[in-house]
Amino acid sequence: MAWNRVAVVGAGLIKFGELFEQSYEQMAAGAFNAAVRAVDKGFDPKQVEAAFVATQRGTLWGQEGIGGNTVPTAIGLAGIACTRIENACPSGSDAFRVGAMAVASGVYDVVLVIGVEKMRDKSTEEGLLSRAAAGHPIYTRGETAPVLFAPFATRHMHDYGTTREMLASVAVKNHHNGALDPYAHFQSEITVDDVLKSPAVCTPLHLLDCCPQTDGAAATILVNAERAHEFTDRPVFVAGFGVATDHPYLHEKSTFVGLKATTLASDRAYQMAGIGPSQVDMAEVHDCFTITEILDIEDLGFVEKGKGGVASLDGETSLTGRIPVNTSGGLLAKGHPIGATGVAQLTECWWQLRGDAGERQVEIRNGYALQHNVGGRGSGVSVVNILTNKQ
Amino acid sequence: MTVESAFVSSPVRIMSVGAAAGGLRLAAADAGAAWGRPGGRGQAAVCAPDEDVLTLAAEAAGRALHAAGVDPQVVDGLWWGTSRPPFGEGPSHSLLAAAIGLPANSSGVLCSGSTHAGVDALLAAADAVAAGSARLALVVAADNQLPGPGTAFEARAGAAAVALLLRAEPGPATIGARVTRTRPYLDRYRGDGEPATRDVYDARLFREEVFMPLVTEVGEQLGALDVTTWSLPDPDGRLASVVARRLGSGAPASSAVYTAVGDTGAAAALLGAAEALDAAGTVGVVAYGGGRATGVVVTVESPVPGSAAVADALSGGTPASYAQVLRARGQLLASGETVPMGVPPESAMFVRGMSEMLGLLGARCADCGTISTPPSIHPTCINCGGTKLELVPLARRGVVHTFVVNQTMPAPFVAPLPIAVVDLEDGARVMLQAIGDGSDIKIGGEVELVLRRYAHERGVPVYGFKAHPVVERSPSDS
Repeated sequence: MAWNRVAVVGAGLIKFGELFEQSYEQMAAGAFNAAVRAVDKGFDPKQVEAAFVATQRGTLWGQEGIGGNTVPTAIGLAGIACTRIENACPSGSDAFRVGAMAVASGVYDVVLVIGVEKMRDKSTEEGLLSRAAAGHPIYTRGETAPVLFAPFATRHMHDYGTTREMLASVAVKNHHNGALDPYAHFQSEITVDDVLKSPAVCTPLHLLDCCPQTDGAAATILVNAERAHEFTDRPVFVAGFGVATDHPYLHEKSTFVGLKATTLASDRAYQMAGIGPSQVDMAEVHDCFTITEILDIEDLGFVEKGKGGVASLDGETSLTGRIPVNTSGGLLAKGHPIGATGVAQLTECWWQLRGDAGERQVEIRNGYALQHNVGGRGSGVSVVNILTNKQ
Repeated sequence: MTVESAFVSSPVRIMSVGAAAGGLRLAAADAGAAWGRPGGRGQAAVCAPDEDVLTLAAEAAGRALHAAGVDPQVVDGLWWGTSRPPFGEGPSHSLLAAAIGLPANSSGVLCSGSTHAGVDALLAAADAVAAGSARLALVVAADNQLPGPGTAFEARAGAAAVALLLRAEPGPATIGARVTRTRPYLDRYRGDGEPATRDVYDARLFREEVFMPLVTEVGEQLGALDVTTWSLPDPDGRLASVVARRLGSGAPASSAVYTAVGDTGAAAALLGAAEALDAAGTVGVVAYGGGRATGVVVTVESPVPGSAAVADALSGGTPASYAQVLRARGQLLASGETVPMGVPPESAMFVRGMSEMLGLLGARCADCGTISTPPSIHPTCINCGGTKLELVPLARRGVVHTFVVNQTMPAPFVAPLPIAVVDLEDGARVMLQAIGDGSDIKIGGEVELVLRRYAHERGVPVYGFKAHPVVERSPSDS
C-alpha cells in the first residue's frame, strides 16, 4: 500500500538553457508561476504556507550566502516560512522529500518545493571546473565532475564488456527525447557517431557523454492528500521516497560498477510505496553522464547488474521500450541546473502520470513513476521519490 | 708537494648511495635555438611540473636507504645541501625529513647559499659522525637549477639529487682528507627577490681569475693523495676537461653525469663521484660555488651499495621542448586567473594533514584490519565503524582497480591528467594522480607510489604521492 499522504497538485518549470538574461530571482518567479498556472482548479499564491528551496551552489554566481529568504521575496511571498535544502545533486529531490514530510506531519497543508540554480553566470573555468582545486589537496586534486563517474565507466567496460557505443546510445536516446521537450536545453537529435567523435573530456567519457551546464528552475505545489480535490480532479500522490548515503571519497568505494547509495535509497522508496521495480511505468534518473544512467537502471533494479549497456543499446529504455527512462531528455539533453534538476524530473513524472506529456507520453500501466538523483562527493548521496496516480 | 689538509679525527664511512634526476630532458641545442644561437651539445635533466628539489631529494634518499637496507626511523639526522631549497625561508628541512620518513627527533642541517652547499652538507655530516653526535647520518645534495631565460648556462642547468648514508663503523668507502680555497667573487648569483639565477658577468674573467686558480689548486692538493678518479666541476661544458688535463688525468668520472643530466649545481660534485663508488680506488671530489672550491678524498675498498644503480637513475627521461621546460620551471605562466586551491597551504588543515600526506599514512582498524585514509578525516573505520585505529605507513606498491584521464581542467592544471584508484599491497585503496599521459595505465597494471609536487600554491609547494606505472624493474630494486 502506497504512502499517499501528500498530493502534488501543481508543477512547472521554465525553459532550461544558458539564461544569461535572467537572474536567479527571475528564474524562481518563472518556475513558481508555471506551477501555479498548472493547478487545474486555480491557485491563489497566498495559500502557500511554507517553501523549501533547493539551491546547490550559490558560489557559482557569487551568492554563497543564499538562504531561505531569497525566494519568498522573488515570488511575492515575503514572510512565509522558507528553508534552503542543500544535499548535492539530489538537492531538488530531497527538498521535495522534506516538503512532503512537512505536509505529512500536519504542520502545513500547502507547501512549495522549488529548485533554482544559476550555473552560467560564471565562466565554465571559474564555475564547476574549478572544483578541480577544491576539497582535499591530494585525494581530490584534479577531481572535476566527470572524475566522479568516469572511473565507473572504465571498470564497467572492463567487467561487463560495456562499450562506448552503448554509452553513446544513452545520449542518443535522451537527445531524441529532449528534442520532443519544449523545456529542454538541447532540442536536436544526435547520432552514436557524434558522441564517439566528440572531444574527450575525461577518458573514457567524451563531450556528448556529459550533461551541459544549464540555468533553470522548477517548482511543485504539495498539499495534504485529503485536500487534493480542492485543487484538481487528477492529483498525483507521493507513493514513497528514500534517501541514502555512501562514503564521500572515491577511494572509499568498495565497488566501481554500481552506486550503493542508489540501491539503498531505492530499496527504501520501493518498500514505502509497496511496489517493486517491475511496477514502475517510467523513470527520470540521474544521467549527468551516460555511464550514470547505465549504473542507475541497474542499481534501481530495472535491468540485471552488468546489462545496463546492452539494455540501452537495445532500446529497452526508449519511449516505447520496456521501461522508458528520461523521457524529458534527462540531464544530458534537458540540462542539469543542480537544485532544479530533481524538481524538474518530478514535474516530468507528474505530466506522464496525468497523461499530459504530449509527444513524449508513455504508456502508464501500473500508475507509478520513479524519480532519482545521485551525487555529491563520491556520489555519496541518493534520493528516490516515487509518484503514483492511484488514489 | 706538501699536502695542506685537515684530516677528520676518526674515519667516517659511506654505507650506500642513491640518485635521482628530473623527469624531462632539454636538448641544449633547443634552448640555444630559442635565442638564435648554438646551444651546444648535450642535454639537461629538468624537473617535470610535479617534481622539484624536494621530490628529487626524497627519491634519492629513499634509494640510498633501500640500498643499505636501513629503516629511516633509525637515522639520526638529515644533512641537506641545495642552492635552491623549496622555501627561501621556511620548513624545507622538516618537510624533507618527514617525506623521507625520518623520526621526529632527527637532527641535521640545511646547507645553502650557493652550489657549494652539497659538499658543505657532506662534510658537516661527516664531522657530526666523527664527533659522535650522530651515529647514522643521511646526506642529500640536490638541486633544481632555475637559470635566467636566455642565459648561456640555461641549456645545461640540470636537476638531480644524490644521497649518501654515513656512519663511523667499517664500510665500503671512507671519507678522507679535505681542502678548501676561497676567493670572494660574484659568479652565478641571484639577488634578493630575484627568481632566476644570473650567469657570470664575464666568462673569461671567471675562468682565468677565479675558477681555474681555485679548482686547480684544490685538485693539486688532492692529487698528491694518489687520486685515481675525479669528479670535477664543469660550469660551461669545457672547464672540467681543462682542469683534468692540468691534473694529468683523462676525462673525469663526472663527465658522464654532466652528459646525462647537465650541471646539477649543488648535487654535481657528489653525483659526479657516485658511479665511481662502484669500484675500488681513490676518488677526488671537487665542488665549486660562490667563490669557494672544496675537495675531498673518498677511498673505495669495495663497491658501495646503490652505486651500480646510479647510471640507471640518471638515464631515460622524457624529451621536452623549450616551451615545455619553461612551463615546468614556472617561467611560462597561463594568462588570466588560475584556480586557487580550496585549502590554503598555511591553514590548519595542513597542520592536521601534512604528516599523513608526506608520509602516506593510513588508519588501520584494530577490529577488522581495514585501512582508512587519510587518518585525519577518518575518526572511524570505513568498513566496520570501529574507533580503535592505529597509524600505519601505507604500502608503496599496488595494482590499478580503475582509472580515468582528465582532459578538461582550468589552469593551473595541465591535461592530460591520469587519476587512478589503486589497491595497495597492504589492502588499502587510494585514489591518486598518476604520472605520465595515461597511455601506460591499465586495470590490473602495477604501480609504485612516489612523492611528487601536487601544486605550487600561493608560492608554497604542496606534496603528496602519485601512482607511477611500473613498466620494468625499478632502479630502487636493484
